[in-house]
Amino acid sequence: METTLTTVSVKILLFATLRSKYKTRELTVACNGTLLSMIESAAKLLGPEFIDDVYDRKKGKARNDMIIMVNGRNIKDLEGEITLKDNDVVAIFPPLAGG
Amino acid sequence: MGKILRVNLTAKSLNVEKTSEDVARKYLGGKGYAVYLIYRYLREYEKAGTSPKDIDALGPKNVLIFATGPGTGVPGFPSSGRYHVMALRSPLTGSIGSANSGGEFGPFLKFSGFDMIVVEGASETPVYLAIVDGEAELRDASSLWGKNVFDTCRMLMDKVGGKNTSVACIGPAGENLAYMACIMNDDHRAAGRTGLGAVMGSKKLKAIVVSGDEKVPVAERERFSEVSKRCLDAMKNNPVTGVGLPTYGTAILINIINTAGGLPYKNWQTGVNPDAEKISGETLAETYLISRRSCWGCPIGCGRVTSVKSGPFQVLASEGPEYESIWALGSSTAVKDLDAVVKANHYCDEFGLDPISMGSTIAAAMELNEKGCIPTEDLQGLDLRFGNSAALVEAVWRTAYKAGFGKYLALGSKKLCEIYGHPELSMSVKGLEMPAYDPRAIKGIGLNYATANRGGCHVTGYTVSPEVLGIPEKIDPIKAEGKAKWVKIFQDFTCVVNSTVNCLFTTFALGAKDYAELLSAVTGWKLTEDEILKIGERIYNLERVIINKYGFDGKDDTLPKRLLEEPMPEGPAKGQVTELEEMKGEYYKLRGWVNGVPTKEKLAELEIEL
Repeated sequence: METTLTTVSVKILLFATLRSKYKTRELTVACNGTLLSMIESAAKLLGPEFIDDVYDRKKGKARNDMIIMVNGRNIKDLEGEITLKDNDVVAIFPPLAGG
Repeated sequence: MGKILRVNLTAKSLNVEKTSEDVARKYLGGKGYAVYLIYRYLREYEKAGTSPKDIDALGPKNVLIFATGPGTGVPGFPSSGRYHVMALRSPLTGSIGSANSGGEFGPFLKFSGFDMIVVEGASETPVYLAIVDGEAELRDASSLWGKNVFDTCRMLMDKVGGKNTSVACIGPAGENLAYMACIMNDDHRAAGRTGLGAVMGSKKLKAIVVSGDEKVPVAERERFSEVSKRCLDAMKNNPVTGVGLPTYGTAILINIINTAGGLPYKNWQTGVNPDAEKISGETLAETYLISRRSCWGCPIGCGRVTSVKSGPFQVLASEGPEYESIWALGSSTAVKDLDAVVKANHYCDEFGLDPISMGSTIAAAMELNEKGCIPTEDLQGLDLRFGNSAALVEAVWRTAYKAGFGKYLALGSKKLCEIYGHPELSMSVKGLEMPAYDPRAIKGIGLNYATANRGGCHVTGYTVSPEVLGIPEKIDPIKAEGKAKWVKIFQDFTCVVNSTVNCLFTTFALGAKDYAELLSAVTGWKLTEDEILKIGERIYNLERVIINKYGFDGKDDTLPKRLLEEPMPEGPAKGQVTELEEMKGEYYKLRGWVNGVPTKEKLAELEIEL
C-alpha cells in the first residue's frame, strides 16, 4: 500500500550567519512533511544555495554540523525518520558555541 | 622554572621563591598549583590549631593567589592570555574561591617576572602592588580608594607606563565588601565569580599593576612551533572558533538555549523566555556592536565592543555583555530592553561586580517582592518587579555602594532569601548563583552544578557542549542516563585548561591530546593524554578535599528545590524535573567518592599526599 504524504505548513527560523546570509529571520513553507521537502521549499524562497548550506545530498540527510531543532528538540535526539506536522517550528542554527 | 612572589600585607613583606618543578609536574600551574598551595595553608592552620571552618573569608587569614601556568604568555600557545585567581574561602559561599579572567594581565604578570603572586594578611590602609621588570613594591593607594575600575586602571597605567603594562583591581563593590564583588583587569575583564573582589577589598589591596618584557621559556621550540601551528590551524578551520565566536561572541547562545527550553526566565520559574530574540546575540550584533576585542594571543576574539547610542541607558563605549551577563541581567529578571542590560553590565564592570550573581540576586529579590515578602521600608522606593529596566540598573549601583536595599542585595541571593524567609528562592548551589542553563532541560549541566567544588558553576564542566551544541558529539539533553561520565571528564579536563592557564573556548576545537602535545613541548616533559587527564582528576580531588574541610559534602551536592520538584511548565522540556540523585550515584561511583568525599584509595591512586 502506498503512503500518501499530506501537505503541511511549517515555520522555519534562521539564526546567526544563516540569518545574515539570507536576510531572513523566519519563513513559512508548505512541504510534504520530510526534512528534504521542507528544505527544498525554503530554497525556492531563499535561493538554491540554501539546500547545500543545510543538507548533505550525498548522505541524504541534514548536514552533520548544522543544529536543526523541531519544536525545540534536536533532530539528532529524535528517533526514526523526521515527519513534520502542520505548524511545526523548525529552528536552524549553524555551528555555534559560547559559555 | 619561574618565580613566585609571596606578599604579606600585615607585615608589608615581599619574598621571592622558586616555582617548584615537583609541584608543577603534579599540578601543572594556574589553578592546580594554587589548589596545592591552598591545601598546604590549611594544613599549616590546622597544625597551629585553627580549623579551616573558622577561617573568615574577609579576615587576614584568607590567602589570595594570582596564578599563571605553563602556557600563559607563550606566543603561539592558542588563547593563553588568561590567569586564575583563588582564595582559601569565598565570602559568598564559604567554599573555595576560584575565578578566571582574560585580557592582558595574565601574560603581562609573567612578563613582569613572576608565575604567581600569593597575597597573605591584610593592610590597615589602602595599598597597591607594583611589579615592574621583576621588582615588586607595595605602594600607598589612598588616592585610588573610592575610584571606579576604569579610573583605577587608567591612573595606574599612566603612572607606570611602558609596554606590556596591565592592571587588575577592585572597584567600589570590592572596597565595600559586596559578596559578589569581582577582580577586574584591563577595564572590562573580570575574574568574576565567588566574590574575590571582596577578599581583595578586605585586605585593602586596591590593585596590582604589572609590567615587563621577560621572555617566557619554551623547552622544545621546534616541536612547539609544529604543534602550535597545527592547533592554530584547527582553531581557524573550526566553524565555532573560526567563525561563530568571532562573528557573534558568546551571546549567540541566547536563542539556541531558549529554543531548547533551557533559558531560565523570571528567577527560573520557566526555561522559555518569550522575549529572547530582543536580547539575543543577533540583536546585539545588529544594533550595539562597534568592534571586537581579543585577549592577548587569542585567534578567536570573542570580546564585543558595544555602545548604546542614545536614551536613558546611553553608554558611549562598553564591552560585552556576554551570554551569561545578558541572561542574568536580562532573562532571569525578565528585562527585555537590551539598552538596560548593556548599561547594567557596564555598571558591573565599572563598580566591579559579577553579573551572574548580581543578576540572579536581583531576580530573586524581584520574585520575593512580587510574592510580598519584602517590607516596603526595606526597598526604600526601589520598584523591584520583573521586567523593570530602571530598577535593574539602579539595583546594580546600589549593590556596589550598599546603598538602601543594596545592602541586602550585596549579600548574594542565598543570604537575601534566607533573610526574607524563602531560602528556596535562591537559585544557587553552595551559595553560588547558577548560570544560564536550566538542568530540567539540560540534565548533565545540573549534575555539574551540583558537584562543582566552587558551587553553581557552568565552566567547571561544560556539558552543554555535547548536550546542546553537539561538540564533540551529540547527546540528548533531557536524558539523565550516561551523563555522569561526561560530567567527570569535562570537570577533569577543565582543571587541565585552568591550570595551563588557557581559554576554555579552545576546547571546542582542541582535545586532551592536543593539550598533552602543547604542554609537553612547552615544558619538555613527556605528557600523554591520559597523564594530563590524571593531573586534572588529581586537582579536582584535592580541591574536593579542601571543601570537605569546610564542611561541604554530599548533602551540599544538590540543586534548588525548584529544579528537583517543580516540573518545567512549558517548552520542549515540559514536565521534566532534574533526576539528580540517579546521576549523582553514578557520578560518585566514577569518582571513587562516598557521600561527596574522596576515598583514601582514590587519593592514593591519584598520588595525593595529605
